[in-house]
Amino acid sequence: MALKNTATPSAPRRALVLGGNRIPFARSGGAYAHASNQDMLTAALEGLVARYGLQGERIGEVAAGAVLKHSRDFNLTREAVLGSSLDATTPAYDVQQACATGLETLVGLSNKIRLGQLESAIAGGVDSTSDAPIVVTDRLRRALLDLSRARTAGQKLAALGRIRPKDLAPVAPSTGEPRTHLSMGEHQALTTAQWGITREAQDELALASHQRLAAAWDAGFFDDLVTPYRGQTVDGNLRRDTSLEKLAGLKPTFGTRLDAPATMTAGNSTPLTDGASTVLLGSEEWAATRGLTPLAAVVDAEAGAVDFVHGEDGLLMAPVFAVPRLLARNGLTLADLEYVEIHEAFASTVLATLAAWESDEFGRTRLGLDGAFGTVDRARLNVHGSSLAAGHPFAATGGRIVATIAKELHLRKQRDGGTPRALVSICAAGGLGLTAILEAA
Amino acid sequence: MTLVDLPAVPGLGGLYARGAASTGRLALARRTGSAPVELPATAYRVRGVRASLDHLAAYQRLVGEEASDTLPPGLVHVLGFPLAIALMARTDFPLPMLGMVHLANLVEQRRAIGYDETLDVTASADRLRPHRTGTQVDLVVEAAVDDEVVWRGVSTYLAKGVHLPSDERASDDERAPFEPPLPTGQWQLAADTGRRYAAVSGDRNPIHLSPLTAKAFGFPRTIAHGMYTAARLLADAGRGRGDAFVWSVDFVKPVLLPATVATSVRHRPGGGFDLAAWHPRSGKPHALASVAPPPLTPPNRRPDRPSAAWSTAPPPATPPLLRLSATRPGATPGSSTIQPRSRSTIRRAGRPTIQPRPRRCSGYP
Amino acid sequence: MANPITTTLSAKLSGLLGFSPAVPLRRWSAGQPLVDGKVLVLGSGTGPDADADAVAALLSGSPAQPSATPDSAGTEVLDGWGLDVYRHPVPDERYAAVVLVLTGVEHPDALHEPLLAAASTLKKLARGGRVVTISRTASASDAPAVAAARQGVDAVVRTIAKESRGGATANGIVLGDGVPVTAASAVGALRFLLSTRSAFVHGQLLAVDSTAGALPADWDAPLAGRVAVVTGAARGIGAAIARTLARDGATVVAVDVPAAGEQLAAVANEVRGTALQLDITAPDAGATILEHALARHGHLDVVVHNAGITRDKLFANMTEAQWDSVIAVNIAAQLAINEALLTSGDFTDAPRIVSISSTTGLAGNRGQANYAATKGGVIGMVRATAPLLEPFGGTANAVAPGFIETEMTARMPAVTRQVARQLNSLQQGGLPVDVAEAVSFLASPQAGGVVGRTLRVCGQNVVGA
Repeated sequence: MALKNTATPSAPRRALVLGGNRIPFARSGGAYAHASNQDMLTAALEGLVARYGLQGERIGEVAAGAVLKHSRDFNLTREAVLGSSLDATTPAYDVQQACATGLETLVGLSNKIRLGQLESAIAGGVDSTSDAPIVVTDRLRRALLDLSRARTAGQKLAALGRIRPKDLAPVAPSTGEPRTHLSMGEHQALTTAQWGITREAQDELALASHQRLAAAWDAGFFDDLVTPYRGQTVDGNLRRDTSLEKLAGLKPTFGTRLDAPATMTAGNSTPLTDGASTVLLGSEEWAATRGLTPLAAVVDAEAGAVDFVHGEDGLLMAPVFAVPRLLARNGLTLADLEYVEIHEAFASTVLATLAAWESDEFGRTRLGLDGAFGTVDRARLNVHGSSLAAGHPFAATGGRIVATIAKELHLRKQRDGGTPRALVSICAAGGLGLTAILEAA
Repeated sequence: MTLVDLPAVPGLGGLYARGAASTGRLALARRTGSAPVELPATAYRVRGVRASLDHLAAYQRLVGEEASDTLPPGLVHVLGFPLAIALMARTDFPLPMLGMVHLANLVEQRRAIGYDETLDVTASADRLRPHRTGTQVDLVVEAAVDDEVVWRGVSTYLAKGVHLPSDERASDDERAPFEPPLPTGQWQLAADTGRRYAAVSGDRNPIHLSPLTAKAFGFPRTIAHGMYTAARLLADAGRGRGDAFVWSVDFVKPVLLPATVATSVRHRPGGGFDLAAWHPRSGKPHALASVAPPPLTPPNRRPDRPSAAWSTAPPPATPPLLRLSATRPGATPGSSTIQPRSRSTIRRAGRPTIQPRPRRCSGYP
Repeated sequence: MANPITTTLSAKLSGLLGFSPAVPLRRWSAGQPLVDGKVLVLGSGTGPDADADAVAALLSGSPAQPSATPDSAGTEVLDGWGLDVYRHPVPDERYAAVVLVLTGVEHPDALHEPLLAAASTLKKLARGGRVVTISRTASASDAPAVAAARQGVDAVVRTIAKESRGGATANGIVLGDGVPVTAASAVGALRFLLSTRSAFVHGQLLAVDSTAGALPADWDAPLAGRVAVVTGAARGIGAAIARTLARDGATVVAVDVPAAGEQLAAVANEVRGTALQLDITAPDAGATILEHALARHGHLDVVVHNAGITRDKLFANMTEAQWDSVIAVNIAAQLAINEALLTSGDFTDAPRIVSISSTTGLAGNRGQANYAATKGGVIGMVRATAPLLEPFGGTANAVAPGFIETEMTARMPAVTRQVARQLNSLQQGGLPVDVAEAVSFLASPQAGGVVGRTLRVCGQNVVGA
């Protein structure tokens, strides 16, 4: 037998989205008020296991994460796996990339599948704003730690003596940026003002989100994407009865201190939400042996970040830069995408992103293009609604978007043929952004 | 100029007491016409000054600096501050120490200073000159390592209502109205901010400690230390400022505690940052600052006259603000070394473009 | 019921209402003996009785290792069940089961010998004992005396049931013309009725219409290799059916409305099946079910139509919405799904349809005209659907539960509920698993000769009996 002296490099395999499951997203303090991140992630996993018959199955790897995470949840995902019906020998790890966490788990696991390191994987994310970790003040924490290290009575007294009564107050996590101390909403208000995004445009986007999400629910689109939990059977934030008039009646909550008119309201900003999502991934072979129908392939991904600390760009504008790089690498333009999913952190985030892409000057000066990057047909944008209507449990949003659009891609291909593509774009705290291309499988 | 070596950095508590006493004496002397009208020709020096690691950590944590092993320039100011105060507390100092207002601060950091480096700190007073509302003076502190000046600070103080005989005319001080830019950040300052900075800096000026003591000096509430505000702005600029830079601050309106402060930290064309802190509702500035790259000319080190380095070739149109006054006393024209920053070139709304702003106050091209 | 408070309350209510306390029924569990005690097999007369001999041989024969399924139409000796079998009653002996093989009875006079012999044993019948008759169906083409004897047997079985005590049950197997006592379904029915799987089946006559069907390789896993869809599987009877089918070897596709998804997922994970959230009234529900089963599990063999709703209202006050929704879910959806399956060409491997009816479907019930229409409809539907499946060795049958202890019945007023429990000869409510056991039997290969029938699981409820 002839010996091969080198292994022939093979093209990476395809990483396929085989399905997903999430629990309905609930308003903060609602149905999941007493559910922990681990509870919700386990519930989402259990629904996925049930839908795809994965009981006792050893999945290659499970990756998930939470943005607001208690230190006791250092192994959140692994603990959720152990509490699920999956085989206990299923490995797991936690990921944290702010609101991009869910999508990053998908990107990382997809790459492992493409490399042949994994045959199957589950990506996921969870967040609870109702069961958020409360911590002690930094001063109390340091004093207590010094106390524990103190050897002599004098050292102990000194450590104790540093504690002041107001150090004892508990500290809840905030959505404030550590470097700017501005909340995400305040940051977005700056971007909104910079790009001159109008209240009307924001409210219209919010209305479309609610209407499209409601239509998807009514059509049974989520029947095989969502498993109810704790009596919550649909997304708790969905407002079927909202209207432009009702949205217009809301008082602005962010940007009220700027010269520009304040336009961001509770209606066109995402509310605090609890929820969890999972996405089942696999190689072609694994899917075939399980009788699972591939919905979409994860084609490529690109992360980005902006220097918001120095006012260079808005906090949530990183995808504006990442997407052009991603599409260029894949020889695509916005016109080649049948679907564009832009996470609705705020209506104005989506609109400012589109405005930047449509700006000739921005395209030339900031994106290094000959002109504007391009326009997104609104009919292709967030076709089944997005975070404004569904809510946004930070790390769970990536899984929601991916599972939803993967199913839509699959249906579209069945209906119209071809290989429709979707862009998924998620902005995140810290000026981060993560974007990915999916295509129908 | 007489250089007096002190055995150690004096305690600020005692200095304030002495300063209070000399303030009273001065007031009395001024009535009798016997008050000093010139700066004492004395410089104080303390050799072998070091910051402890604990002190460094506490300072870094308080002002939001990265926990590096180098001294933030604001901490070097803290280390040298008692020397400057000691000068002002002297009986022959012509201005009353209590009630002086910190108008501006200029720091030139020439290289990163390790916490384990031993500093020789020298303080002198310079440029007694009239101000629209009184008389101002520069307190110049230099920190040297092995005779190399690595840090130099000029703190400009104003004694309101004190008018000394002088040839100089007060500058017009035409301050362009501050137009707040779009904020890039925001601080929530607690009521105890002054006490916490006092604990770390040693500067227990009563106006920073409690509403009651602040009221005694004419402030409606406790006010934040100017150098705290300045140091936080500098920390917000982050690592991008590099190891060597010129950091200049104008203090405009005091921050009344507790406070919400809007801030802006923006890159400036040609390097460095424009920094601003203002009251978010009124739009009135608290502090306007900048961090600029160091001069392109390498320091001309002269061991025999260490403190004269860097000041030999001032640009013609701008005053040589980094010159050690002891070498050329009284030769500085005008008082325009420190000007309000940020002439509203960063607008609050509209397209997110940052236009070049005129550089009005740096001593460097 | 595990709750000691409700148990006490029930006992008190029973006492107040003059009822005797119910005897706890034994349910099936793995490793249990088929019959825990002596079995008496009585023939049709005094002479030689080939059928009784064959049954006795089956019951007493040495159990074989799981082997090739015997030809069910033949009369050769089957793999025996290893029971302690007696052919003549011994006075004062305690029997756990009495099997009356009455296939040879041709005149009511001939009932004297076997029935009185059986009667002599009943006082000492073991707790939870079994009386099973095997007889032939009476028809118009029979000689009048033959028909009289055969029909008489039915009524005697019902009477024995009404007189039974100690949780014992009495049921009959009624063989169709030409169906031997060793036919797969006769043997399967006998085993079902002797076992604790039929704990709440009482006073019933189960017809075996043909020799179709096959004995399972493993009596404990008769559904091995079969893929079963259970609708309404999230809770109650549906969940019990899913568990029981899975226990008996089936791979289960658990179906329920999306809103019940959380419980559905729990059931699916428990039985290691798959969950399919589906509104069965959707036009493409049948196709969705089939597609899911084929893609995930390769085939679809059993469909259990369990999903159902109630919208009770006196008939005179019935609204359109109340009427239409019950019709849509309880019967129209079943018809549509069956049609999709039957026309797909993928439901052809000895397929089984088992549909849940109700005693209301037999007898009607005040305030349940809509429900009665659908549950009666189920009985008609399976009768007419079964012949369509016969060419593929398939069947369609129904199970009609009586009062079953479920979340739904737990919400009834306590007194009403207690009265409802007592309206049967076992004087208690059945459990969801009792319905599930009957469903599993009808879904099994050994029930292939039971065609288009409705098996009541009601403890011989007076309603519609």
